Amino acid sequence: MKKKYIAMFFMLVVFCLFIWAQNSDEIITGEQIMDNVYNRQTPDDLKGNLKMILENNRGDQRVREINQFIKNTEQDEKKIMFFTSPADVANTSFMNWSYEDENVEDSQWIYLPAIKKIKRISSSSSSDYFMGSDFTYDDLGNRKPSEDTHTLLRSEVLDNSNCYVVQSIPVDEDSMYSKTITWVLPDSWVGVKKEFYDEDGDLLKELDIQKLEEIKGYWIIAKSLMTNVQKDHTTLMELSDLQVNTGLQDKIFTERIMVRGI
Amino acid sequence: MKLKKWIFIVMMLSLVSAFSSEIDFSGYVRNYTGVLLQEDSEFPVLQNSFDMSIGYQSNKGAFLANPYLNINKDTISDIDFRELYIDLFFTNFDVRIGKQQVVWGKADGVFITDVVSPKNLQEFMLPDFKEIRIGVNAAKVNYYIGGSMIELIWVPQFVSNTMPSEDSIWNTRHIDFSNSADDIDTSLENSEYFARYSIMTSLFDLELVGGYMWDDEPTITAMTPQITFKHERLAMAGGSVGSTVGDFVLRSEGAYYTGKDFVTSGNLLESDYIHYMAGLDYSFSGYKISTQFIQKAILNYDDSMVSDQFSNTMTFMINKKFLRDTLTTEFFTYVEFGDLNALLRPKLTYAFDDGISLIFGANFFVGNSGTYGQFDKNDMAFVQIKYNY
Repeated sequence: MKKKYIAMFFMLVVFCLFIWAQNSDEIITGEQIMDNVYNRQTPDDLKGNLKMILENNRGDQRVREINQFIKNTEQDEKKIMFFTSPADVANTSFMNWSYEDENVEDSQWIYLPAIKKIKRISSSSSSDYFMGSDFTYDDLGNRKPSEDTHTLLRSEVLDNSNCYVVQSIPVDEDSMYSKTITWVLPDSWVGVKKEFYDEDGDLLKELDIQKLEEIKGYWIIAKSLMTNVQKDHTTLMELSDLQVNTGLQDKIFTERIMVRGI
Repeated sequence: MKLKKWIFIVMMLSLVSAFSSEIDFSGYVRNYTGVLLQEDSEFPVLQNSFDMSIGYQSNKGAFLANPYLNINKDTISDIDFRELYIDLFFTNFDVRIGKQQVVWGKADGVFITDVVSPKNLQEFMLPDFKEIRIGVNAAKVNYYIGGSMIELIWVPQFVSNTMPSEDSIWNTRHIDFSNSADDIDTSLENSEYFARYSIMTSLFDLELVGGYMWDDEPTITAMTPQITFKHERLAMAGGSVGSTVGDFVLRSEGAYYTGKDFVTSGNLLESDYIHYMAGLDYSFSGYKISTQFIQKAILNYDDSMVSDQFSNTMTFMINKKFLRDTLTTEFFTYVEFGDLNALLRPKLTYAFDDGISLIFGANFFVGNSGTYGQFDKNDMAFVQIKYNY
């Protein structure tokens, strides 16, 4: 009889452990999820062509094309972009150095071929829209988790995949967004959908990741659609000819290449 | 003759392009109409322009040919190459030989250390800076060490500023400058030399520059019996620095000049002078704001000099884009102190389509004398239609 109770107790413990194991991922916090997203394995370098299709509510389209090169090190991330289309911005280049040290502001420069001059610009304009698109400079950057307070709202199935749904509220009260909500895939730690809420708390924009590519073991967002739901216009951003870990050298991210091109 | 030259140029370049699909063509076609805002409204500008950049680049080198044509009213007023050069790329240095524009410094709309390329002042300072700068025949070497660069330039042929014609509305004293550019022979000893060191870091950008050159601006040596000019040898040393501090970009540029002759009531007096600028840029909510203070100070000043010992100028610019960057509004102004005068330049640019833009603007000159006030009667509204390809 005693053995029977012991066996039942043992089975109960095993059952509890099983249930706990099933739900153990619920213990993870929003902070940890966004840390995982931020610290996701990224290639040492990446290059590719970026095409942005801006569409307004009448269906009129404008196209912007860019060649971009990115290099990551432990201390910083360097990025250089060459605008190739439309004609009036062709040969303009933009360079950004962002630093792991949160106390150091990004360094940014723009080369304007019309005046043949490199101008240092302030990274505080991160809420400006990039080339008239629906992406701000901040949307395109790698926002540090410490810039927001994160809360795990729920788990949810999105396009047949389980996702964590995390709400992020900016620490800076002057941020252009009151909050963002991100749907994160737990196996790759990629945010596949994001909602941006304006200062009044109303939905402003939706980001939908339409294509993820795995290249040399790294997950790269190859196609995404940003919709401004308030103004009913969209920006489709597509990356093509993607190459990772090709050994980009530091000398690419210099005045010489900004002016000359690659 | 000019038209034949132009047709020849286009034919040659078209022939070149036919043999290579890798040659890049870009440029613009522009109609530019300006009307004076006075009782008998004249059109000082009725211009059609064609500008083409033909470029090719490989890992080893590049070339650029940038011919342009301006037709004012029904006359071909300009036909030339803005730039025409060949680049050679090496591991740690690049060489550029040919006609080229060189731009230095961090000041906007002001030339302090930016003295390699002379200026076309036929329409004062109103055209785009690409059109104001004149290309010079030069050999330029850029040597790269990490994130820094040393640039050396040899200009064997002196080119002076292009001055407005005697009857131009931009020549209020109606001076005949037609002989003002002829006094410097092209020879080795008359060459100009320039050097620049620049570095870009996470904290600041720095340029140190120097030049041994001719004064691009002609100095009047006599008014009677006929007007005569000369160009003086100048030596210049200076630099510029830019840095981000919080939300601001701070910029500064300055230069020390020796050898400049200043006009007095009787003759010319030589004096060193300094020319410097301090400015800051700020952006918020899509507005870009920029302001600069510029001072030019004659160091060995004499009361008989026609110029003031100190000339102080401020610039102010505000720019904002709307409608997903298709509509750009801009206001730029120069204000010169002392005998207060100013130039106010509002401008509105609408991108009608990718490549086609409509530009509406005006130039308001305020004051009765001074750099800008002397053109008080030249207030002008203009419209440009520009197709970039």
